[in-house]
Amino acid sequence: MVDISITVNDKLYKISINENMRLIDVLRDELGLIGTKEGCGEGECGACTVIMDGEIVNSCLVMGFQADGSSIVTIEGLEREGDLHPVQRAYIEAGAVQCGFCIPGMVLSTKALLDKNPNPSDEEIREGISGNLCRCTGYNKMLEATKKAMEYIKGE
Amino acid sequence: MKKRGIGVGVSFYGTGYGNGFPDISRAIVRLLPGGRVGIYCGVTEVGQGAKTAMIQIGAETLGLTEKDIDLIHEDTSLMPDSGTAAATRQTYNTGNAIKVACENMRKELFEKAKIELELNSTAGLVLENGEVVLSFFPQKRISFKRLSEIYKDEIIEAGGEFVAQTTTMDPETGQGAPYWPYTFNACAVEVEVDTNTGIVDLLRAVFAQDAGRAVNPHLLEGQMDGGFAMALGYALFEDLKLENGAMKNNKFSKYLIPTAMDMIDVEKIIIEDPENTAPYGAKGIGEPVMIPIAPAILNAIYNAIGIRITELPVTPENLMKAIREAEANKQN
Ligand code: FES
Ligand code: FES
Repeated sequence: MVDISITVNDKLYKISINENMRLIDVLRDELGLIGTKEGCGEGECGACTVIMDGEIVNSCLVMGFQADGSSIVTIEGLEREGDLHPVQRAYIEAGAVQCGFCIPGMVLSTKALLDKNPNPSDEEIREGISGNLCRCTGYNKMLEATKKAMEYIKGE
Repeated sequence: MKKRGIGVGVSFYGTGYGNGFPDISRAIVRLLPGGRVGIYCGVTEVGQGAKTAMIQIGAETLGLTEKDIDLIHEDTSLMPDSGTAAATRQTYNTGNAIKVACENMRKELFEKAKIELELNSTAGLVLENGEVVLSFFPQKRISFKRLSEIYKDEIIEAGGEFVAQTTTMDPETGQGAPYWPYTFNACAVEVEVDTNTGIVDLLRAVFAQDAGRAVNPHLLEGQMDGGFAMALGYALFEDLKLENGAMKNNKFSKYLIPTAMDMIDVEKIIIEDPENTAPYGAKGIGEPVMIPIAPAILNAIYNAIGIRITELPVTPENLMKAIREAEANKQN
């Protein structure tokens, strides 16, 4: 067992975990944050994307102990006082969600992109979400959603 | 050398189980406490938007908004069967069952309103924003909420069923009407083929889909984009390597599907030519949206380099092989 302290969605957790636990297991199994999805488990699909110290990571490739001292944002951490994050709202309004399995990761990648680059071009948006596979939507409504979110964030 | 070409693909697709196979959808509609309406129906949501579309069809028939309706679905102990979410059949088949059930419900509500409003008949009654109203003397009206209070022990409900009409094909002649209705679409793409690397790039795409009536244009466009992307993978990347029934390349690093960077903007055109046996004219489009894309891409490749590809996927490797074969044939 190893002791770690991580901040998840602004809340500090001091927990004792098994050495071979991955970050996704810590989030889902230890903290009950099941919004983060496991698709491939080997860093290829992006379903498990979370934001770690401002950067998107595949939580299936990060070991739990490696996350010690870091600050994590998961899909559960986007809502503020019951209001959806502009990216979440834009995804719903644009009809960018079909089965939903890729969406937590996709929304976090979109958020991380807009945090760094508030005015991405279409190409930059495509690149920003290219690590997240989606089998349903063909991605075009996600582009539309990202552009809507850009406007909402500017208006805030 | 980079060469450009344009190609078109068109398809027609018979929706439903077809060939005379029993294809039945059922629904029950109930007045719930507080005047809300519950639609109990075995329709399955897998992301295609069935839940939204079914609620819209129910709302339209009962003069309500989507917010007034609860769809209770996917728990088989609570509702009648509506068949599978397959064969592009939910919008047409289950949509029809819900429409019939809601029409029957309307009659039930009229009957109850007739009693409560002390009317002689149900003639002239209409449904308006959650009320039954006598159209030519609107002072006579009663809300769904009031009816639900009066009839709390004797719940107002109605059922509906839709059985699709198809005939088996004659085994001798192949004649018959194995499907109804059909959905039509057409896609045109422009590609750029690199004859040195075998890479095919999509430059432009226009995609027109007939839906009879677009119950929800937003969802329809999402299906069109999704079908296009899946077909793009099918045409250019996705290669299922099977050995003794097992998939050898069962990893996304070895079995490539399109990412956001492989996809392009698709100019989408929705054609609405209402089908008269369909709920408000609406037909299914789930599977058809994938069909014309690969043919359009292959035709565009032919238009660009004059080579007919007959095997999918057109990976760079396979395309280079085809180009070399064509050159060898030319020399012979
Ligand atoms: S589950 Fe982590 S990348 Fe697929
Ligand atoms: S919405 Fe189904 S995988 Fe993206």
